[in-house]
Amino acid sequence: MSFHDLYRHVLEDLVTGFSTDRNANHLAVARRPAILSVLAAAGQETSVAEALHAVENAAPRFCGPSEWLLVSRTLSAEHLADALFDIRGALVVDQSEGKVLLSISGPAVRTVLAKCVAVDLHPEAFAMGQSANALICHLPGNIARTGDDEFEIVTPRSFAVSVFEELLEMGREHGLTRNFTE
Amino acid sequence: MTSFRLTAGGAVDRDHALNFTFDGKAYKGFAGDTLASALLANDQMLMARSFKYHRPRGVVTAGSAEPNALMTLGIGGRTEPNARATVTELYDGLTAKSQNRWPSLKHDFGAFNSALSPFLGAGFYYKTFMWPGLFWEKLYEPLIRRAAGLGKAVMQADPDRYEKSWAHCDLLVIGAGPTGLMAALAAGRAGARVILADEGFRFGGSLLSEGASIDGRPAAEFAASIVGELSALPNVTLMPRTTVFGWYDDMVFGAVERVQKHVAAPSPDLPMERMWRIIAKQAILATGAEERPLVFGGNDRPGVMTAGAVRTYLNRFGVAAGKRVAIFTNGGSGYRTAADLLAQGIEVAAIVDARAQSNDAAPQDVRVMRGGSVIATKGRLRIDGLIAERSGLDEVIACDALAMSGGWSPIVHLMCQRGAKPVWSEDKQAFMAPDVGGTFAAAGSAAGFDTISVCLRDGAAKARAALKALGRLVGPLDIPDVEGEYDPSFAPLWYVPGAKGKAFVDFQNDVHVGDLGLAQREGFRHIEHTKRYTTAGMATDQGKLGNVNTVGIVAGMRGVSPAEIGTTTFRPFYTPVSFGAMAGTARAEHAAPFRTSPLHGWARKNGAVFVESGLWHRSAWFPQEGEKTWRESVDREVLNVRANAGLCDVSTLGKIEVLGRGAAEFLDRIYSNGVLKLPVSRARYGLMLREDGIVFDDGTVSRLAENRYVITTTTGSASEVLSHMEFAAQTFWPELDVRCVSVTDQWAQMSLAGPKARIIMGRVVQDDISDTSFPFMSAKEVTLRGGLKGRLFRISFSGELAYELAVPAGYGEAVADAIMEAGREEGICAYGVEALNVLRIEKGHVTHSELEGRTTADDVGLGRMMAMQKPDFIGKRLSTRFGLTAADRLQLVGLKPIEADKEIKAGAHLLKDQAKPSLANDQGFVSSACFSPVLGHFIALALLKSGRERYGEKIVVWDGLRGTEVAAEVCSAVFVDPENLKLHL
Repeated sequence: MSFHDLYRHVLEDLVTGFSTDRNANHLAVARRPAILSVLAAAGQETSVAEALHAVENAAPRFCGPSEWLLVSRTLSAEHLADALFDIRGALVVDQSEGKVLLSISGPAVRTVLAKCVAVDLHPEAFAMGQSANALICHLPGNIARTGDDEFEIVTPRSFAVSVFEELLEMGREHGLTRNFTE
Repeated sequence: MTSFRLTAGGAVDRDHALNFTFDGKAYKGFAGDTLASALLANDQMLMARSFKYHRPRGVVTAGSAEPNALMTLGIGGRTEPNARATVTELYDGLTAKSQNRWPSLKHDFGAFNSALSPFLGAGFYYKTFMWPGLFWEKLYEPLIRRAAGLGKAVMQADPDRYEKSWAHCDLLVIGAGPTGLMAALAAGRAGARVILADEGFRFGGSLLSEGASIDGRPAAEFAASIVGELSALPNVTLMPRTTVFGWYDDMVFGAVERVQKHVAAPSPDLPMERMWRIIAKQAILATGAEERPLVFGGNDRPGVMTAGAVRTYLNRFGVAAGKRVAIFTNGGSGYRTAADLLAQGIEVAAIVDARAQSNDAAPQDVRVMRGGSVIATKGRLRIDGLIAERSGLDEVIACDALAMSGGWSPIVHLMCQRGAKPVWSEDKQAFMAPDVGGTFAAAGSAAGFDTISVCLRDGAAKARAALKALGRLVGPLDIPDVEGEYDPSFAPLWYVPGAKGKAFVDFQNDVHVGDLGLAQREGFRHIEHTKRYTTAGMATDQGKLGNVNTVGIVAGMRGVSPAEIGTTTFRPFYTPVSFGAMAGTARAEHAAPFRTSPLHGWARKNGAVFVESGLWHRSAWFPQEGEKTWRESVDREVLNVRANAGLCDVSTLGKIEVLGRGAAEFLDRIYSNGVLKLPVSRARYGLMLREDGIVFDDGTVSRLAENRYVITTTTGSASEVLSHMEFAAQTFWPELDVRCVSVTDQWAQMSLAGPKARIIMGRVVQDDISDTSFPFMSAKEVTLRGGLKGRLFRISFSGELAYELAVPAGYGEAVADAIMEAGREEGICAYGVEALNVLRIEKGHVTHSELEGRTTADDVGLGRMMAMQKPDFIGKRLSTRFGLTAADRLQLVGLKPIEADKEIKAGAHLLKDQAKPSLANDQGFVSSACFSPVLGHFIALALLKSGRERYGEKIVVWDGLRGTEVAAEVCSAVFVDPENLKLHL
């Protein structure tokens, strides 16, 4: 028997089976992203940070002093970890299963997120690529700006259902739709 | 004898009629009306009954300070009591009911209280319901409760949605009158992020009510043009129907937006109300000023209202308060009202001016009685005349409405909510906004400025200063010309002598001048005492209208300045906020987040009953068909684990990875037992202490690689332990190169326990897990059949041969299914935390029932975990304090009932045989208890004074809550397999 075919996403029941039409305001769930915690060993904070920004097909999300989540939608966790192997002082822990990656976008995205996050997401205040650890729908998570009107949310798996349902509820007046992205 | 709608004028849409009912009677109003203006337009002046004396009351104001016109709106679950008709936006189908009357508003039996009023003065309750003491609970309290309150809440659930939102801005402008509009315009044109919030549904504030013209246009048109420009600016957010109710630390403002309160058919996709937390870099208070009522005899008769309210109904809503209106004033507002009334063809009966002389000019042909005062009003459900007095000469003047003006008070509530008190100004004869630092400034009338032109200028200037503080330059703003404005200055008049009948200071709570005098005579002289003794300012309007008169009159009674009396304390909320808005989405099942394990689905399909453990929903037991009680299920699960095998979800335990060259040394200092020499691929039980030597948490430490550990914590302490470790790493020992990160959510972790565990696990895991290759306390990465990688730990909480298998969370359910399938022939069962608890009590293993914040390692029998030879570890130094090593400390023991069928419950206390229950005789308590299906009787863990010396002693288990006493024998805490033979199968 192989377990690989039996993988189950925590939001499976909340996404599969719902309308696949996509509105302007949309919430996408990444099915199998790679998410690694990367922590810099003492004295290596700057060099690790620089190296992380140089990793291809992945983006570092700031979590606190010398701590990041490295997120990739295209690489597997193993490949991503391999890519970090040569970075001196980078301590790597796989979180791909412990975190859920969401992407929310559309003209009303800031209005919807203002109901979920205390961080000021105005374009002047939160630049492209910027990220922050914050309470998202009352629960610890990370938010990053990935486009003009697009943000990425990383939320703990055990709370993902609560966060996902709250995001949908807050997006209700703007017709927020949902799907999986592979 | 009538209030009526003028044939033209006002900002109501006469082509858009709206139907509504009041006390079951149908009425019509117009779009743009408030409920109060529509009622007045229909000559419905009587709107309410007062709280204590049930006196007939009409509307006094046209704004949010309204004390009288409180009504119940809506029906069923949407019922809202105590809504102020003056700020209720009229919509088609609105249902309003009056309150606090029976059988009807016109004929109210409660008005009998008015006849008793000589006995119902301030302090009546305190004096009357004192004795006999026994009457309190049975008679007085139910009686008072029935009489308390105005409107009644309904028991149906609120069908509507509510939500909360954050907002951020450079400048928050509170109030959209002349000051606020100009402030927002100045800052908005300069490109700053501006939020302009106003409690009303139409921006403009006093500009909507005043007859002046600005830039050659009517004031209301001027306001509309500014609003038009503001709404076109992308950097300006307009928030109508939004009350900023509180100012909190760090420039956070609380506001509530009434999103759909005014909508006949609310959309299910929109919230009814939205609670805002606005974070502003700068804020301007442009809330304007409140007109004071005058305190004269009969000043509460329906038809008596503030002069500003008369003008608002007239100019904004096109409604005349009466056909022959009298005016009682101490300043310019009364004269302006007379002029506005005359302009609409309304007769002005007279202007009674309390001042002997003034510069205010009365319109032609209007009689002015200078140096006069009103001492009484006449009429029953509505004023039909007044008695004016001058130098001892009384005169009856017929009128059907009375406009009163006692001067103006800046609305400074928000600035006073964080401790600063308003400051009395002799010059302005008003309490002014305090200086609260450079980020929040009062402007316009809220800062004591009076005319429209000064307000316009001040709004722009204050916005400019606010933006300058943020490093932004604001270009000059042309201040428009104002024509036809008036000077609203006034001479103070707190108390009108010679009142015939009651002169009210607090309309809603029926507090009159006599009550204030009584409070002074009886020693409740401090204004906070006066307030509480008389209840002045304690109604839902929080004294917005009356408090300043209370202060002024008390000052007068004492012969001092109001500055010496001061004000009572301002607190949020400025106006009442619904519980729905405060709860937002956090109601019913969404009251708390729902935290689930990766094995939640597995547990559900195996029939689990869940228990909330913090935010986690853990599988508690797995009932099978025919099992009627939870005990039956748990007993079966326990026996099956001990005889065969069981699978339990342990994913909720905290898991922290500890990395870095300093990890070994770090953990050695964090744990009280030795960890430094733990070899790779081995696990160890670990105990953490607090600095004070008390046990903090326990768990396992596994070394995965030279510089990589994974530790477990108890479910409830996971985040606390991580914080503790990060704090220690960052502040105690920054020289250690170590990093910690939580991986609790990454792994689905399951415990497979029982004599057949190895056979079953061997069918799922490819690696050799024989006792020789994978002995007790092994910890390794393993490969599952099919290639999936996992982590396997040979650790046991149940005392059985046991493994904990961790796999990536998304595979958890599949792997758990596979283990159940692999163990089917061996008789595997799913077991929950209840069975786990029984299994550990049978083994004498401790949890936070025993590690409850007062126990030392030695207390709970873990003295061997204190590696005192280590140079240091957290808790070491203080663990040797005398108090923590005393011989009579409570120690962990086991208890078994002497009569086998007796129950022992956790929480019961222990007494020596024959001793009476008392604190002095208390010997300890039962920390954990359960029925042991293995032994066939109840067992318990207990903390007992010098317990370990007392094995064999007979002791009394006294349960005061349940009223039971059971004789028990003190024994070892390990009830099953004391030699741990089953661990090493």
